[in-house]
Amino acid sequence: MINRRKLLSLLGVSPALLATSNASAAGDKHKKDAAPATPPDPKFVALTPKGTPPPVMRFAMAPRTISNLDGKTVYLVDTGFMAADVMIREVEAWMKQNMPSITTVSRRKAGTYPEDDPKLWAEIKANAAACIMAIGH
Amino acid sequence: MGVPSVPIITKAYLDLAKSTAAQRGMPTLRIAYTVHPIWGLTAEQVRAFLDTNDPISNRPFMKEVIDGLTAPLNAEDEKTGLQPVSPGPATFGPDTLDNLQAYFMNNQMTDYMPIVVPTEAKVAEMLKGTSHKPDEVAGRTGRTANGAYEYTVKQVAVNAVMAGCDPSYFPVVLALAASGELALGGSTTSFGYAMVINGPIREKLNMNYGIGALSGFAQPNATIGRAWSLLGKNLGPGSVPGDTYWGGQGNNINYNNCVIVEDEKNSPWTPMSVQKGFKPGENVVSVFSGWDMRMGHGAKGAGSPEPKFDEQIGSMFATLARMFNCVVVLDPLTASALKDQGYDTKEKLQQYLWKTYTVTAKEYRESFLAHVWIYPRALKGEEPMASWWKLPDDAPVPMWPKADNIELVVCGGQTNAFFQVANMNYGRSFSIDKWM
Repeated sequence: MINRRKLLSLLGVSPALLATSNASAAGDKHKKDAAPATPPDPKFVALTPKGTPPPVMRFAMAPRTISNLDGKTVYLVDTGFMAADVMIREVEAWMKQNMPSITTVSRRKAGTYPEDDPKLWAEIKANAAACIMAIGH
Repeated sequence: MGVPSVPIITKAYLDLAKSTAAQRGMPTLRIAYTVHPIWGLTAEQVRAFLDTNDPISNRPFMKEVIDGLTAPLNAEDEKTGLQPVSPGPATFGPDTLDNLQAYFMNNQMTDYMPIVVPTEAKVAEMLKGTSHKPDEVAGRTGRTANGAYEYTVKQVAVNAVMAGCDPSYFPVVLALAASGELALGGSTTSFGYAMVINGPIREKLNMNYGIGALSGFAQPNATIGRAWSLLGKNLGPGSVPGDTYWGGQGNNINYNNCVIVEDEKNSPWTPMSVQKGFKPGENVVSVFSGWDMRMGHGAKGAGSPEPKFDEQIGSMFATLARMFNCVVVLDPLTASALKDQGYDTKEKLQQYLWKTYTVTAKEYRESFLAHVWIYPRALKGEEPMASWWKLPDDAPVPMWPKADNIELVVCGGQTNAFFQVANMNYGRSFSIDKWM
């Protein structure tokens, strides 16, 4: 004598079928006995999963004290990310052609792209009227 | 810096650029946008673009740059001072569970699979899984100039409830939260994350390190991994596509991360936690970040009747990138075979693999992201990158800076001698016991 569960297994059919048929029968019975009116769903308060952000310190942008860049030094900074070098080279070429009175200085930021480079920022502050930085990508 | 500056950013990162500028305190920062991507364009194409319009402002691109450097500031540009940032409401509802479920999903607080709604009662139950006070700071992430995102034990508990964790798992989730290294970080390359769990907690929680260890066959493996991604989504700056998440194709691992529970009993080697300086018997979670995990079935010599697993593992290195290191996950059968080959410690195998499976210096310099990740470190004089970068083209170079950049961990059901290789970096190891 072989039971139904074992037989289904031998035929390669999931014994879970048995559970399904029982569940359907139970469902039908439940439908027949169900009360016509359903009570309203209960209500709950849920808590936020969010962390607490730090405050933001607002900084003013560097003052724009000159109305044009004629005769000034502009630093062009390559962050080291993809294609930032190409962008800086072409901006430099564009400036030489279209704004020849500007002196351009190209620099590659030290370290990998997320790293700070305070030495370069100090150099720019000491020498430049403005800075253009290509982030790349 | 104190000098008028304009960053040039590709238009794909408009949201990221704006939100980063705001978070750093300069919401009106003047930015000039280019087409995207510029990587792959010729110099001539880039030059031609400079004479066209900024795709966001629709004004001539170089005029946008020059005006950004010279046009007078307005009152908003000159604002200074500390501004608090609201974390949003502390509670939602009262509402039905179905509506709350929808609210969490529609407000990007879930992984788009059903959650357990974190009611006060459910969270209180979760908090019983630790002796720590609900309002104790559990960790910080997403550091900015003015501090970092901060979260309490209770805020971590909310996420653990949502993921479907049992309260007994909570110390593991707290250890992950305390790491500050939350899953779902941003990179266009679509990061993935993994953890290795050691210690008796593996048995206590009935974690799976046997058959199907990396699949969905055990509640703690499934839900602790899922909780890590929810922590990443909710406790820090979040993972909003285009803003704080920008993985090009995404990563399927992000759903619940790789939860690797080491089979310490059947491993012939020292557990990873002990390698990292913890005592045997301590409960520890080690975190990893990187890209992916791949089966060793494509290895050279795979399927051979007399397998040499050291050679098979080494042959897989050719498929890995160098920005991240390597984690080899070995079934106990594979680990035992390697021990029989003479590798009676993990260190011996690490040394062999590191010394033997090299690339040429030319390949090293031309490898994926070497220009943005290895070259800048070489330029700064960081060793061994600085020396390796200068080697002749055909000189051999190891895949990663140190032999222990190749991590080994044992887990699997011993149904066959297989292994998997992950292109991931070890981060740090954290005590779970501390959070019990």
